[in-house]
Amino acid sequence: MGPGEQAETVIDLRGIQKWFDDNHVLRGVDLTVTRGEHVCVFGPSGSGKSTLLRTINLLEEPQRGSVRILGVEYGPGVDGEVGRGRAPAKQLRQHVGMVFQQFNLFPHMTVLDNVAIALRRVRGVDRAEAEERAARQLRRVGLLQKVSAYPSQLSGGQQQRVAIARALVLDPDVMLFDEPTSALDPELVGEVLGAMRDLAETGMTMVVVTHEMGFAREIGDQNVFMDEGVIVEQGGREIYTDSREARTRDFIRAVL
Amino acid sequence: MTFDTALVVERLPQMLAATRLTLGVSLLAFVLAVLVGLVMAAGRRSRLVPARALSFVYVNVFRGAALYVLVIWLFNGLAVATGILLSALTVGVLALTLLNSAYLAEVFRAAISGVDHGQWEAGNAIGLSRWDVFRRVVAPQAARIAVPATGNHLVDALKDSSILAVIAVPELMFVTNGIAQTTFRPFELYVTAAGIYLAIVFVLSWGLRRLERRLGVSGTRPVAPVV
Ligand SMILES: Nc1ncnc2c1ncn2[C@@H]1O[C@H](COP(=O)(O)OP(=O)(O)OP(=O)(O)O)[C@@H](O)[C@H]1O
Ligand SMILES: [Mg+2]
Repeated sequence: MGPGEQAETVIDLRGIQKWFDDNHVLRGVDLTVTRGEHVCVFGPSGSGKSTLLRTINLLEEPQRGSVRILGVEYGPGVDGEVGRGRAPAKQLRQHVGMVFQQFNLFPHMTVLDNVAIALRRVRGVDRAEAEERAARQLRRVGLLQKVSAYPSQLSGGQQQRVAIARALVLDPDVMLFDEPTSALDPELVGEVLGAMRDLAETGMTMVVVTHEMGFAREIGDQNVFMDEGVIVEQGGREIYTDSREARTRDFIRAVL
Repeated sequence: MTFDTALVVERLPQMLAATRLTLGVSLLAFVLAVLVGLVMAAGRRSRLVPARALSFVYVNVFRGAALYVLVIWLFNGLAVATGILLSALTVGVLALTLLNSAYLAEVFRAAISGVDHGQWEAGNAIGLSRWDVFRRVVAPQAARIAVPATGNHLVDALKDSSILAVIAVPELMFVTNGIAQTTFRPFELYVTAAGIYLAIVFVLSWGLRRLERRLGVSGTRPVAPVV
């Protein structure tokens, strides 16, 4: 990006607050993600990482806060003032792809149908074109030979790569990953991280919750340490070597 | 005592004709029960409080009803209370439908809840509408879960239809009673009737097992693509 050129803001979260009953899980989170940026989120279990990621595509509704994607407001607003003016979640999901820890592939559909269904049902693309575009995404994650397999016939690593292709097929502006490798056997982690690395290199905007510190250090342009529902510290790669906050240092030392 | 085979052979056509009504009543009631059961299961999951309340009451009233009592009440009681006179056949189909639909609503509800919540989330995350997530993602998986229990209710409806003899629906049991009373050979005739019920249940069970296999309920083989 040339000097003076302003990167487009893809995600803009302001004052996000989320309660599960009395449990105040997100206590005012701000986060801005610009196009092409790779954001890694880490922190202890229960700190609210998944909940934060899920509010970005409204799988969780925050009670307070602004969720702006490409300038459009989908959240209730910082004081809950947006009300009926907000755009529907379905529109948001045209721009945001998500990959889950447990893959969540559709077990009764072939790999090809798993990827093609969104094109068919959401975009109204005809079968032949949907299948061709799905196959293209599957080639991208190295699974073209598995188009007619069912998810149960694949390894965990392969399933997660199909899930990545399924999210990519709608050509999202940003991809969210919630611990995409933590359900995998250690020997299968590499292939999924490899697919994510390739994706990062294409310039895809990504927000990744991960415990894979090595991977985070490699791709993380913006690195976010969360604890108890707030962002404790955020910064560039230097966060992993000399963080300002003692809590961040302790956490990194413990997981490395 | 000797087994009067000749009598059985002589009366079998009459009994098989009555069996057609047994099959007709129970299959019709079953199909209606599946439809009503689906509606009630949807009601239990609805966002609308009146829909939830209505289906809750429906399910709990008719699941608790004894078929015999329901049949007699619909046939005699309803007319006294409201002046609505239903034919015996209508009462039969209605009673079997009410009872089985209440059970099936619970079967379907449990099957839908039995599908991993992550499936809804994945469907939502790729932008499918709520209806499409249900129709394309959740329902096919719920159907596999529901098939064995649903099949049991088909078998139940068939056997339970024999109770309709008390209101003179001319199905297999009623006709058998009649023949037994006039020929004084209850042993042969009820053995024959039992054999007919058994044969139908056997065929139904075989068909259901095939369906289960095709849907991959018991094995791992998945169903055909649904996109
Ligand atoms: N659906 C839910 N209902 C109730 N409480 C929830 C729900 N989801 C999360 N929580 C609670 O919110 C808090 C934050 O959970 P979250 O899953 O966001 O943490 P996390 O940082 O992703 O943890 P982990 O590293 O274990 O995945 C926890 O206390 C959790 O119990
Ligand atoms: Mg989590």
